[in-house]
Amino acid sequence: MLFASSEPSSGGIFGALGINFQVLAIQIIAFIILLLILKKFVYPWLIKSVDDYRDNLEAASKAATEARFAADDTKDKVTKILKEAQVSASDIILTAKLEAATLLGDSEEKAKKRSEQIVASAQEDIKKEVIAAKKALHDETLELVALATEKVLGKVITDKTDSKLIDEALREIKQ
Amino acid sequence: MLIYFSSVALNVEIAAQEIFSFNGISITNAMFTGCISLLIVFGVLLYVSSKIRNNQYNRFVGLVQWVFNGLVNSIEDIIPDKILARKITPLAVTIFFYVLFNYWFSVVPGLESIHIGHIPLLRSMTADLNFTVALAIVTMVAVQFYAIKSLGLFENAKRYFRNPIKDPLGSFEGVLELAGELSRGIALALRLFGNAFAGEVLLAVITVLAGYFASFVLPIFMIFELFIGFIQAYVFFMLTLIFTSLAVAHTSSDSHANHSVPVTNMVKKLE
Repeated sequence: MLFASSEPSSGGIFGALGINFQVLAIQIIAFIILLLILKKFVYPWLIKSVDDYRDNLEAASKAATEARFAADDTKDKVTKILKEAQVSASDIILTAKLEAATLLGDSEEKAKKRSEQIVASAQEDIKKEVIAAKKALHDETLELVALATEKVLGKVITDKTDSKLIDEALREIKQ
Repeated sequence: MLIYFSSVALNVEIAAQEIFSFNGISITNAMFTGCISLLIVFGVLLYVSSKIRNNQYNRFVGLVQWVFNGLVNSIEDIIPDKILARKITPLAVTIFFYVLFNYWFSVVPGLESIHIGHIPLLRSMTADLNFTVALAIVTMVAVQFYAIKSLGLFENAKRYFRNPIKDPLGSFEGVLELAGELSRGIALALRLFGNAFAGEVLLAVITVLAGYFASFVLPIFMIFELFIGFIQAYVFFMLTLIFTSLAVAHTSSDSHANHSVPVTNMVKKLE
């Protein structure tokens, strides 16, 4: 059996619904006391924590924005530096090529000069050696002639005798 | 089973019952439960604030802090004036937690099983009209207090009382506004009472109808009631803010136009 107690109350509709003005006043007072105590001792800390949380969130958001801007800035800088580096590299490569070409030309010229010098020097040496050889041959021929003459004359041919013989020969020619 | 049903008598009392009287003041079972839940609310919030003060966080503190943060965000969404929002925060948040814990107290198993004589010792306070009417009175008085503070005494009175000769339509509108304030207060009180009382009756009926299976069926309805408790606490909290916002929004016709549309939509949704 399910029933609601709806017996007539002495307090009319309020009494039937259980509304008692004393209890109502107590409830209001109790709630206000709770509210005041919480307002004094609890909510300041909770509100402070909310504010701190928001401040942290805001700071983090700000930092994130700044970091994003910094990253973008850095990206731009890196791009710029890369472009500059590319330009510099191109310049350097060009300069290097030019310098290499110049160096190569110079080296070739130097090598050519050097080789010419070496050739000239070698030719001179050869000439000197030819002259020396000719002289040596001449001297040797003279010595051989002298030896042959000695054999023919039976005398030792010295410079003195040689000069004497030459003089005699010249006198015979004159006569 | 039939024998079981026939032997069970459900006595549903709309009014809270007196346990004893002190100096002529009737102390009801709902008041007794209300005192316990008041101490629990106070204890929980004090514990959380002391933990926050000492920078000692745990999951429970984080949960309460998260709920508090959500409530503060809701307050600032509804009341654009930040100073007023901060002023009304303690009242609105206290209403939320007080209603929530009291409503959840109605779900505690065996709440009405301890009897003194034939009267149960504990009874949910949200199922007592004295509590819901008291909260509605506090809310409506607070709304008027903030409206007077924001608009001034005479300007606030002009919302309700206008010269019928100079402005007959406006004076009629004022009467409607006055009736509206009264009906808002009554609706606030009866909505919470109706839901809590119906929830208690539902649990009692399910207990009787489910018989021996009540142990398996009741937890589902208890979870449902916990959810309804949260919704009712949030609705009471939101309506407190919306009524304040509507009362304060009469400052200028422009601000009224700006705030009244979303607030009115919210009232419609909540009601």
